[in-house]
Amino acid sequence: MKTFEEKWTAWIDGELTGVELAEFEASLPDKAAAEEERRDARKLGTFLKEHLPCQAMGNEEFFHHQLRERIASETAVPARESTGGGRVWWPIGRLVWVGATALAIFTVCTFFVMREKPTSEQSQYLSEILTARVDPVVNPNATISMFKSKEDKVTVLWVEGLQSLPSEYASQ
Amino acid sequence: MQRRSLLLLGLLLALILGDVASAGAAQTVWSGLVIANNVAQPDPIPVELRGMEAALKKWFGYNQYKVIGQARKSLVTGSEDWMAQSKYFSLLVDSKSGNEAGYLLNLKLFQEKNLLLETDAKLSKASPLMIKGPQVGDGQLLLLLVVQ
Repeated sequence: MKTFEEKWTAWIDGELTGVELAEFEASLPDKAAAEEERRDARKLGTFLKEHLPCQAMGNEEFFHHQLRERIASETAVPARESTGGGRVWWPIGRLVWVGATALAIFTVCTFFVMREKPTSEQSQYLSEILTARVDPVVNPNATISMFKSKEDKVTVLWVEGLQSLPSEYASQ
Repeated sequence: MQRRSLLLLGLLLALILGDVASAGAAQTVWSGLVIANNVAQPDPIPVELRGMEAALKKWFGYNQYKVIGQARKSLVTGSEDWMAQSKYFSLLVDSKSGNEAGYLLNLKLFQEKNLLLETDAKLSKASPLMIKGPQVGDGQLLLLLVVQ
């Protein structure tokens, strides 16, 4: 189904015939004005053909060579991509292999880092007395002192004033 | 390719399981009741105290140390309790929590049924805990705890 513009162009160019021509001319609201416009268009076409001839190409061979080079380069790139496609997009197996390797390296590094860290922390970490208490009724003179020795790596809770006991209390 | 992937996966699992196993491995806490005194001919220091001999002498000044009660407890969860006992003394140890660095302990020293001393302490793997108790005869009762 041609649009009005297509039929209009064909009518100006004299390409409409028969029933199609009759129907189109009947649909024109002002046939006289349309005929005037067609004449102007044909005059313009004739004028352009006369005064704007096609220029002859001076370097025809060079132009053709350049064109062939361009076409060759454009067709060569997709061909290379199609042959090397396996390298750009790795197969699933290789992706799994690379992923597993990366994960293994990460795990090994984490393993050694986590193992060594507590050792260094522990060497500086001494035991600590948080609270200490004695019954003031039973031992009213008892005193409590706390010491931490980095040199000896010991923590001492020093309780003085506890009730002395006879030597028999030393039995196993 | 598949064989290599399987080997790698196996290695990975071994590492992870090894790490988990080492992290969950039990540590042993030795706790002892020790009588320290000065004598002309001291007995050799008990095996359990060998790593602490210099510190014991420096801090308490005695030349003989005798273990009168002890307990060795393997801690798995860190929340366990145990008791080191002699004829007249009991050291009740209640471990509240624990990790790689050490344990949070509640200690109670009983003389028969009497509570002499109670303390809360963080026992580090790197340093023993020494507690000076009451005078007993010509010596001194010491409480010692160490992560072995």
